[in-house]
Amino acid sequence: MHRIYINPLPVRIWHWINAVSCVMLALSGIQIRYVGLIDVVPFRIAVAVHNWIGFVVVANFFLWLLFYLFSDRIRVYHPELNPIKLFRECLRQAVYYGYGIFKGAANPFRLSKYRKFNPLQSLTYQIVMLVLLPIQCATGILLWDLTRFSRVVEFLGGVRVVDTVHVVIFIVFVFYIPFHAYLASLGRTPMEHYKSMFTGYEEVDDEEDAGPVI
Amino acid sequence: MARLSGGKVRRRLLSMGMIGPAIAIVLLAVAGMTGRASAGADDEKCLACHGSAGMEKQLANGEMLSLHISGDTFAKSVHGMLGCAGCHSDIDLAKHPSANNAITSKRAFSIARAQVCGGCHSDKFDQWKQSVHAALVREGNPLAPICTSCHSPHAVMKGAAATMDTVPCKACHGDIFTAYAGSVHGVLRNAGITRAPLCFSCHGAHDVKVPSAGAGMKNVCFGCHTDAIAKHEKWLPNTELHFDVVACQACHAPKAHRTVELVLYDNTAHKNASRPIGVPEFESPTGSNGSERPGLNPATLFTLLRTLNRPGVENKTSIKGRLDVSTGAEAHALAPGSEAISDCSTCHRKGAQAFQSVTISVAGPSGIPIHYGVNKNVLSSAFSIGSIGGFYAIGGTRITFLDVLLVLALLGGFGGPALHLAVRWAYRRYLNRTHHDERKG
Repeated sequence: MHRIYINPLPVRIWHWINAVSCVMLALSGIQIRYVGLIDVVPFRIAVAVHNWIGFVVVANFFLWLLFYLFSDRIRVYHPELNPIKLFRECLRQAVYYGYGIFKGAANPFRLSKYRKFNPLQSLTYQIVMLVLLPIQCATGILLWDLTRFSRVVEFLGGVRVVDTVHVVIFIVFVFYIPFHAYLASLGRTPMEHYKSMFTGYEEVDDEEDAGPVI
Repeated sequence: MARLSGGKVRRRLLSMGMIGPAIAIVLLAVAGMTGRASAGADDEKCLACHGSAGMEKQLANGEMLSLHISGDTFAKSVHGMLGCAGCHSDIDLAKHPSANNAITSKRAFSIARAQVCGGCHSDKFDQWKQSVHAALVREGNPLAPICTSCHSPHAVMKGAAATMDTVPCKACHGDIFTAYAGSVHGVLRNAGITRAPLCFSCHGAHDVKVPSAGAGMKNVCFGCHTDAIAKHEKWLPNTELHFDVVACQACHAPKAHRTVELVLYDNTAHKNASRPIGVPEFESPTGSNGSERPGLNPATLFTLLRTLNRPGVENKTSIKGRLDVSTGAEAHALAPGSEAISDCSTCHRKGAQAFQSVTISVAGPSGIPIHYGVNKNVLSSAFSIGSIGGFYAIGGTRITFLDVLLVLALLGGFGGPALHLAVRWAYRRYLNRTHHDERKG
């Protein structure tokens, strides 16, 4: 067993700011959308909180983007371009989560410095970070000042279309976040991956860091 | 009513070949300057008959037209200086009174005589011709006002129409005037504050437009309330958007019933679209309250938009939306600013009163909108994402289908891991027991 530096400081800062912000955005968003059903915070305050935290998430996204653009760590986000290989790897990981894990089988994924996401994780994060989050940030900014961005909003089909996209992605995140938190507990110990996101280090078997096992 | 200068009057009268009456006017004007308000010599001839109380004439349709003129009242009026011939130059004294009854009705006579008013008051007359009142006259509406409906021609006094007691609008718009009189504007005006608006201050005296034709009225409000935007920006998110899609009175008449006014809009012509042909829901208009009958449902509206934007004319028609109050009277029941609705949750909640009534309007003849009923479900239907893209209120018109998706996401997001955890726990117990049994065996 040895430790590898898997989560650099900028990634950890980004992750926890993003985690706390996304939870607060979800809660304030639910309050904004469901006034009358949920009345914990006045609508106006919920909107102000949602707007401010939204900008934090946008700024934080650029922190993440700049770090990876100017770091060799960007390799963790390199997509698998061979669809057959991608499908086979994803299927194997899904079989592990859906069956093997119950029998106590070993995780088919081997962690390394430049390969810290399993195939399913990698695919999911690529969709979340490169598609859903940018669209969510963009639609959030449009909804923040609809008059300023009226031409763009009109081009996209109107405020109802933009809001629907924003809400649909929010719903996807509502589905994704509990899974994300739960799957993070499926390490060697339930807290292993959580601790790693604080310390930056994760323990791996000596043969694990040798490279990916396909 | 505007008063013409002496030179202007002279030019007009000369152009009408009325040198004689013009001289009479000058004489009358001189008489007026000396403080004598009395009829001229020619006018006395007219008043010899028309001064008799009860003088009237039966018209072709059987109506009785009063021909009695009070000489004193006329002489004191702003038209007194013109004398009878100023307006009635078409009367040939040699053939007067005519044996023929050329006047078909009082209404027809008033409409015909309005041209005479336009001879001097051309600016006002041109404004009137652009008004909703003139449009209604052209449509044949028998109640639509023309000059003499508001201005008694033989008794018109300067400023007579500019007080709460005498403003002529209330003769037809009585319910609106009553609401206005009880409003913050009416109370202030009644208290003698002339800065407070009267009917014409907002609607114009002659170029009266259809108030519900668009968001134009907000600019009228801003005419006096110049700091309105700055004040609202301090607390109202997306202030300008609110001003665009929410009528001032929707919040400033807090007791009014609010309604959503959708507009079928022609993006090419940049005006309200005309009535779609062959759509049953557009066959008969509704009242201002769209809840009177179901009207257009979400699927019909969706199909209608697809039809109107068929290949070749894509994006030609869209639906704009605006929150307003249900009736004209309610629009005038404006409360002091401190009583205006400022609680966002009044509208931004499911089931808010503001979204229980929906109408859609198209351009009618002469540009006057015609309203049709719309099922309120169009505001919360997934079908409307594309068809009513331009009108949306967070919470208030949220799409029900997305609520269902959110519940499913919550169930799946938390239920999935919980189920996985439970299966892992159960499997581990099973494996442990099997392992234990094997060791025991």
